[in-house]
Amino acid sequence: MEKKEGLCLGIESTAHTWSAGIVDFNGEVHGLVNNVYIPNEGGLHPALVREYHLINFKDTILKALQEAKCSMKDISLIAFSQSPGLGPILRIGALVARLLSQVHEIPIVGVNHCIAHIEIGRLMCNIEDPLTLYVSGGNTIISAYESTRYQIFGETLDISIGNMIDMVARDAGLSHPGGPKIEKLAEKSNNYISLPYVVKGMDLSFSGLYTAARNLIESSEFGIKFELEDVAYSLQETSFSMLTEVTERALAHTKKSEVLLTGGVAANKRLQEMIKNICEDHGTRYEVVPQRFAGDNGVMIAWTGILRFKSEGEFDLSQTNIRPKERMDNISIPWRN
Amino acid sequence: MENNAIMRGDILHKGAEASLIHGFWFGKEVIFKQRTPKKYRIEPIDKQIRLARTLNEARALIKVKNYGLNVPQVFEIDISTSTIVMKYIEGKRLKDLISVFDDDKKNKIFYEIGKFIAKLHQNGHIHGDITTSNIIITSNEEVFLIDFGLHEYSDSIEDKSVDLHLFKRVLISSHGSDFDQCFKAFIKGYLSDYDLISSDEGKYIVKNISSIESRGRYVKQEERK
Repeated sequence: MEKKEGLCLGIESTAHTWSAGIVDFNGEVHGLVNNVYIPNEGGLHPALVREYHLINFKDTILKALQEAKCSMKDISLIAFSQSPGLGPILRIGALVARLLSQVHEIPIVGVNHCIAHIEIGRLMCNIEDPLTLYVSGGNTIISAYESTRYQIFGETLDISIGNMIDMVARDAGLSHPGGPKIEKLAEKSNNYISLPYVVKGMDLSFSGLYTAARNLIESSEFGIKFELEDVAYSLQETSFSMLTEVTERALAHTKKSEVLLTGGVAANKRLQEMIKNICEDHGTRYEVVPQRFAGDNGVMIAWTGILRFKSEGEFDLSQTNIRPKERMDNISIPWRN
Repeated sequence: MENNAIMRGDILHKGAEASLIHGFWFGKEVIFKQRTPKKYRIEPIDKQIRLARTLNEARALIKVKNYGLNVPQVFEIDISTSTIVMKYIEGKRLKDLISVFDDDKKNKIFYEIGKFIAKLHQNGHIHGDITTSNIIITSNEEVFLIDFGLHEYSDSIEDKSVDLHLFKRVLISSHGSDFDQCFKAFIKGYLSDYDLISSDEGKYIVKNISSIESRGRYVKQEERK
């Protein structure tokens, strides 16, 4: 198979989003279709998500091809999310990608999901060397490029910020996804209830904050009732202050001149406001990834796949095993040397 | 200059959390460390954090100074502006010196830092933010530790290991090429000081670092115990 400029199909499947994105080698987006699993109750059960994706993956890919007005024949590269994520779900993405690659004789590359979030941000916001705050349902990472890697300067020590907010929302009886609902509720209040604020160096911890918020919600049994709006407001203010403090610390430490906010939680207006505020203080450029590309999507996988393919060529099939636990700072980034 | 004057001069350094202002305090050359209000967070959180960290830092500095360790001496605390007035330490940040140092010097300095941190830990102090920006090396190669804003009291092996783990992470992410040598020398110094009081605690603390790493996010199953 010879190297040929053309279109790349990116397949994203790490958690509740199955997505197909089609991007050309110049970084122009031709198609993006997301299919998101929404649980009736509770969180994401890997087995149920897997079933859902297995039923829907074909339609999603066909729709994306339709949107890009092309067929599998025009695709010259397949990229898929190889790490990190929920094993059973990653496996379907890898399975479909390998299958398509072999049936249509198209080169294949694996992509790290976290790196893809940063790369699509760099492309969409036209930004060169940012400090990235990546906040989502699965990850909370403060990262910047240094000595051949995207180094992790700070991260959560336990659960991620999005997971924490979703869990609180679930305990409060709000349906999935909880983040936007908590944000709406928080706008109605300015009554702060003190909650634990846990920053360790540049690392964060949210599990204690979650327990405290849950206790506030369930506190009716002690005869005291806290308004849900106040809990939502306090929860956001506390956790976002923690994130912003750590970002500012990393900014002072790395002396980067750009800050990039990405991930699903990046859609939150209050968090955007806080991060923007510190950027103004430090005279750094502030960018937030457009919402369509901030959450999980196939376009970011496709674009990062293209970057990987251009610098290292295609993967051998034996390299395409899934790596659910791979850390982003273990992967070298040859295209930025 | 008058001897009883309090004079504020230039801002030496504007960190993430506080501004360091050079000046004089009753004839002494000092640093005013002022935790400035942060506009991004709401007032109750801002006030609480600034007050708690100012008091916490001042108390820690005074206590640690009593063990004869090199930390800035505290002269005055002003709660209303969350300012600590402390002795001015003339020197350079380790962060800027690592690339200048030759191998012998790196070994010597990191050995010293190891001993320093061991003394802190033996006395139940956790610095909480050991980074190469928070270590100052003077011209006659004395090691000073600054910024005790995240200081905690603890005697647990776990907390001490976390303290070392954070330092390790900083060395890897900011000084990757020097990491192996520097961290080795650091641990050597750390353990040597625990040997002086013939305690096995140091070994447990160092051993526990890998356990903390294995509990981190996205660590492969095989690497877990």
